[in-house]
Amino acid sequence: MATEGTPAPTGRPKKKLGLGLGCLAVVIIGLLILGTWGVGQYNSLVSLDQKVRSQWAQVENAYQRRADLIPNLVETVKGAAEFEKETYTAVAEARSKVGQIRLDENLLNNSEAFAKFQAAQDELGSALSRLLVAVEKYPDLKATQNFRDLQVQLEGTENRITVERQRFNETAQAFNTKRMSFPTVLIAGFFGSRFAEKAYFTAQPGAETAPKVKF
Amino acid sequence: MRSFRAGAFALCLLLGFGLSLSRAADIQIPSSPSRWATDTAGFLSAGALDALDQKLEAYAQQTGHQVIVYIGGTTGGYPIEEFAVKAFEAWKVGRQGLDDGLALFIMAEDRAVRIEVGYGLESIVPDITAGRIVNDILIPKVRAGDADGAVSDAVSAIIAAISGEPVPAAPRPGRSSARTIFIIFGIIIFAMLFITSPSLALWLLVNILGGGSHGSGGVRGSGSIGRVFPKSGSSGGWRSGSGGGGFRSSGGGGFRGGGGRSGGGGASGRW
Repeated sequence: MATEGTPAPTGRPKKKLGLGLGCLAVVIIGLLILGTWGVGQYNSLVSLDQKVRSQWAQVENAYQRRADLIPNLVETVKGAAEFEKETYTAVAEARSKVGQIRLDENLLNNSEAFAKFQAAQDELGSALSRLLVAVEKYPDLKATQNFRDLQVQLEGTENRITVERQRFNETAQAFNTKRMSFPTVLIAGFFGSRFAEKAYFTAQPGAETAPKVKF
Repeated sequence: MRSFRAGAFALCLLLGFGLSLSRAADIQIPSSPSRWATDTAGFLSAGALDALDQKLEAYAQQTGHQVIVYIGGTTGGYPIEEFAVKAFEAWKVGRQGLDDGLALFIMAEDRAVRIEVGYGLESIVPDITAGRIVNDILIPKVRAGDADGAVSDAVSAIIAAISGEPVPAAPRPGRSSARTIFIIFGIIIFAMLFITSPSLALWLLVNILGGGSHGSGGVRGSGSIGRVFPKSGSSGGWRSGSGGGGFRSSGGGGFRGGGGRSGGGGASGRW
């Protein structure tokens, strides 16, 4: 009995120690896996976030392009057609309103500011389309090479805006899907507003009448 | 049994969701063409199509710029602009990183045309240039019933524009006089150069002529080659002699997208 009893007191702590070490190893390995996974999730969120940002830059470019065309357009129209002043002053006003909106990174993470930005741009778009409709009454102006070139440029710009906005929505959707899906949402939540949900461009109310330049 | 039904229901939901997603992607884009000029609508004569195909292939081999022509029947009710941007994206026209591709889309039944310009060419072929090619070159000829001439002239103008020659704003006369002035100027400058340093002048001459004969050299050289080419092509004799189907079936490569992208630049028109 005694010979059998002797290994027990020394074996028990050893077993306990082994068990403890094993548990620790499991925990450490678990933490390592969790950490690696977390880093991976974080990095993929970062890369999706960067895609949204670079696509946002494209959207801004397209809008800037339109804003840059407007002084020339207003000049051309003003010189050739002395019609209702309101139409082109409305365009000029809408443009300056667009210019007043600060374009900073926060816009992407702030749905309110984003909506304001979109509203201002849409207003400019509809002011422009009203101007182009008004110009229909002036065939002489429409026939000039300068105006035709401007029309082509405007049309191209509106098309670019459509394309880049749509691509922005796609990248934003990819980001949001990743950000909101189950395990990732824990990581995203941990970093607070760093990975806030992105806002989308929505169709303009009455988009059927969006600026569509006719030949 | 119950769980099976629930599973089936979930599957249906998933499928339905997938369907609704793919419906959101909507517009049908045909698979990438394998030729540089494709005509699924019978808009061009076979000879003109072959000539275009060879010309565009040669152009891509010389300069690296991928310029393709795609003629279809209809977009199925979607704006040609949307079709163009999606097709360009799917076919990846142009080289990756440079985005220097360009595509001419014509929808015969919709009577619509669109030049879609890759990001990298937007400054070289701005909307105004594309618009002039569409409105002043292509559409008038299509209206006059000369589809072959319309497309081949438009392609020549596109190639000339990429190569740097200005596109005429209006009818030819103004342009040709500007061109003679340009040529006279060139000759005077060349004469002066010849007097001051004959060797440099000779070197330049050899270079310009050499480039011109390959059609890839001097900016002016390739432009004028582009102008002459479709005329000799449409006269018929040359094409049926050495061209025909042989070139194509010999596997000159055909079109394969290089990874280029576009963002809605270009111009469109309707006739």
